[in-house]
Amino acid sequence: MSRRRLLFVLSVSAVALTPLVGQSQSAPSRATFADTIAPIVYANCVTCHRPGEAAPFSLISYEDVAKRGALIAKVTASRYMPPWHAEPGFGDFVGERRLTDAQVATIDAWVKQGMPRGDDARMPKPPAFPADGWRLGQPDLILEMPIAFDVPASGPDVFRNFVIPTKLAEDKWVRGIEFRPSARKVVHHALFAQVPGGSRANVDGVDGRPGFGGLSAVGFMDRTDPGLGGWAPGAQPAMFTEGIVSRLPKGSDFLLQVHFHPSGKVETEKSLIGIYFAENGGQKDLASVQLPAVFGLGAGIDIPPGEKQFTIKDSFTLPGDAKVYSAFAHAHYLAKQMKAEATLPDGSTRPLIWIRDWDFNWQDGYSYKKPFVLPKGTRIDVTLTYDNSSDNPRNPISPPRRAIFGEQSLDEMGTIGFEVEIVNKAEVDAFHSALASRNKMATDTAGKNGTLGRLLARGLRRNMQQLTIFDRQGNVVTRLGEVGSYSQAAFSPDGSRIVVVKNDPDTDGRDIWAFDIATGKSTAITSDAPPDSAPIWSPDGTQIAYVSDRDRTNSIYRRAANGTGAEELVYTHTSGSQLILTDWSADGRFICFWSGETMFVLPLTGERKPIELGRERGGRISPDNRLVAFNSNQSGAFQVYVKDLTEATRQTGTATAVQSTQVSNGPSVGGIFWRRDGRELLYLSLQGGQGMMAVDVLGDAPFRTGEPKLLFKLPTPVLAPAQLSSVSSADGQRFIFAVNVTPRKPAQ
Amino acid sequence: MHMRLSALVSWILVLSSAIVLTQGGRGPVTLRDLDGRSITPFVPSGRANVVFFVATDCPVSNSYAPEIQRVCREYGPRGVGCSLIYEDVDTHPSTSHLDQLVRMHLQEYGYAGFTAVVDRNRAAATHAKASITPQVFVIDHAGQIRYRGRIDNLYAALGTTRQQVTSHDLRDALDAVLAGGKVPRPETEALGCFITDPALLRTHDHE
Repeated sequence: MSRRRLLFVLSVSAVALTPLVGQSQSAPSRATFADTIAPIVYANCVTCHRPGEAAPFSLISYEDVAKRGALIAKVTASRYMPPWHAEPGFGDFVGERRLTDAQVATIDAWVKQGMPRGDDARMPKPPAFPADGWRLGQPDLILEMPIAFDVPASGPDVFRNFVIPTKLAEDKWVRGIEFRPSARKVVHHALFAQVPGGSRANVDGVDGRPGFGGLSAVGFMDRTDPGLGGWAPGAQPAMFTEGIVSRLPKGSDFLLQVHFHPSGKVETEKSLIGIYFAENGGQKDLASVQLPAVFGLGAGIDIPPGEKQFTIKDSFTLPGDAKVYSAFAHAHYLAKQMKAEATLPDGSTRPLIWIRDWDFNWQDGYSYKKPFVLPKGTRIDVTLTYDNSSDNPRNPISPPRRAIFGEQSLDEMGTIGFEVEIVNKAEVDAFHSALASRNKMATDTAGKNGTLGRLLARGLRRNMQQLTIFDRQGNVVTRLGEVGSYSQAAFSPDGSRIVVVKNDPDTDGRDIWAFDIATGKSTAITSDAPPDSAPIWSPDGTQIAYVSDRDRTNSIYRRAANGTGAEELVYTHTSGSQLILTDWSADGRFICFWSGETMFVLPLTGERKPIELGRERGGRISPDNRLVAFNSNQSGAFQVYVKDLTEATRQTGTATAVQSTQVSNGPSVGGIFWRRDGRELLYLSLQGGQGMMAVDVLGDAPFRTGEPKLLFKLPTPVLAPAQLSSVSSADGQRFIFAVNVTPRKPAQ
Repeated sequence: MHMRLSALVSWILVLSSAIVLTQGGRGPVTLRDLDGRSITPFVPSGRANVVFFVATDCPVSNSYAPEIQRVCREYGPRGVGCSLIYEDVDTHPSTSHLDQLVRMHLQEYGYAGFTAVVDRNRAAATHAKASITPQVFVIDHAGQIRYRGRIDNLYAALGTTRQQVTSHDLRDALDAVLAGGKVPRPETEALGCFITDPALLRTHDHE
């Protein structure tokens, strides 16, 4: 705080002092915009900081720059801008966006001196940029995203993969790609790949939006050598270096993975991709050298929570002379440093690349300005370090969790790769077989330590769900979040949020997540090792209660519905059987749960001693807190019944036999919901698949209902429906279910 | 003696609350909103006010637009008022240009129905000692600034956003103020764009 105050004071005093400074000094050494600052800004910033480009504001005129002077001084000093993540001295790369220390100091001094404008006559002209269009000339093939994608206004970054059929009738060789995003303000970077035609049809569009989500789409197994590259803001479109070409097979699909950064308002992206073909496959023997091999598959990436300096090392001795063209680095969120160095046979060393503060958001490719030959026998050493502590702000999960090798965002991987040319024909075979044996070793290790088995099992369990909101006719109103493994979704009392159990198919972990319906933003309510389940909302929507299974004992906990604050232990169930919460009464006094064959209400006041209600399940308390609706199979099949709760709980701690009234007229389990006014009951019938039923409440004394009516059939069955709580919004107009995603048949 | 001691104690309480009331400015600052109405965002008419210092061209403050709207939507019914104070520097010769810019911004970023002020002479920023956009101030019904700083800890540094927000500072402050309790962290560091004094640029117009 004191620093901020000081800054303010400084800027105010700068205003006061500036005229004085202006009058008393006109020393030529003083930095002015015209003479000193504009040349720096024009050479390093305006590629992006100009109208229509990716950066949020222009830096062309004196006013543009001066009004952000303090900010510019701060972000250049911290090296956040211009964005460039390779350390100087470790490789000399094409398109380096980096200011010298002297330039940073000049900007700082200029801001401190009150940002003098200088002589307008000496003002340099802003650089000219080509008009909109293809910078590399008319492409041989233009691909366009088939359907535009809406980037949400807020929430976490979005990784979306778009499948664009190339419709090529024959194999082609690519010598360059130009990418033209339409929503430059939100496109952070893009990666290109090619996959067999139709191979992603099982995931493309299954959540109702174009493409499909996730980081893992361009699977590490799919990456071919050399790749098709990628795009980052500020990068100048250029052909691949020195005649390197990459195959684009006939009938293949172009896969575009775009990383979007929500900007505060909805943006629409429909990218164009221009592809430039080469005459032939070229004469070079190319290879991709990865350290560790296969993105770290066999490198033993298993990072305990809290570990700040997890280190992976790998070495490779070149089996032949190799001309190095470019380097790339890849890891997920936990990686910190990625460093590669070569030790030549004569003992001398050559730094190759060093990313000191790895940022997943900036996955640049690094092409060496002057490709160089490393002689046979050169050893390349790579060191990767990871920080899985809560001090790492990029840690995707709080509190931290064990991170193991995998393709999903909470998993880790890591490699530094080099695109090289095998210089001597005689060494080509030896080179390729050395690389193949490294890959095989990585796969063998992963097979032995269980990594491969886990990845394969995950592939088999890909049958997942999409959180889907329906109206009373069964029409889809909206879909929430990414496709995943979900259960027990429940509406908040005000209908604005959904709480759900999210299962982690790798670890069989289960946590409680809340989704904001308007924004789709999700918040982890729990992120602990023990499995959590059965979330229910407090009647005012400020708290969520859930069950956690710790040391084989089920307990009820509650915590703030925004995921903040500590959890509070509400009740520990000692019987050992699983506990399922299904309701929290409108007056806030009772939680209704069932366990084994028995249903209970738990008073939240006093001793918190559960009151047994009977051999029942799925209980839901009426809005006036007088009645409870539930399932029972007392008649031989499960039906929905209603009975008087006041009567049943009169004798605290003892069950009182109370007459119950049957509501359903056929087998029915779960999904019971009282409309807020108490005049309608909703539930799930089992006749001919699950169907959402509605029945009018006609009278209270005695309790009377009308004829049940079918609202709509669920598209896919919901497992364990008696474990559901608020399947409907309070007004009975919206319904939430985790619907199985049915993979589409690959296109023929 | 007992009487005098308690009188002294209550006098000290009065004094200290008076000091608190005037902290951060000299009395209530009156501003004009975009429609020319007089408003006093630092003197709540309800239970509390949130004053958001923003700018149309600050990407950090723009990225918070949906969260600002959510907070105001959720806390509005509980007696919390919201005002947006724009701290843009506009060098366009027409004075109405910035008003137009702000009106467009309100529409583009979904701020329909918000009270918005263009703080041309930095009266509001000076009053609150605001130096960053976005920076928020929570003022309780007594006119006391109870929280100043960031909205949450989404940003760990400029250019580094957390994968998961772990500290909802503004919401926590509002919850505490509405519950009549102590704000857990009354001051946090706001991260974003600096508020620049427009005079700084005018100084050089004729150099």
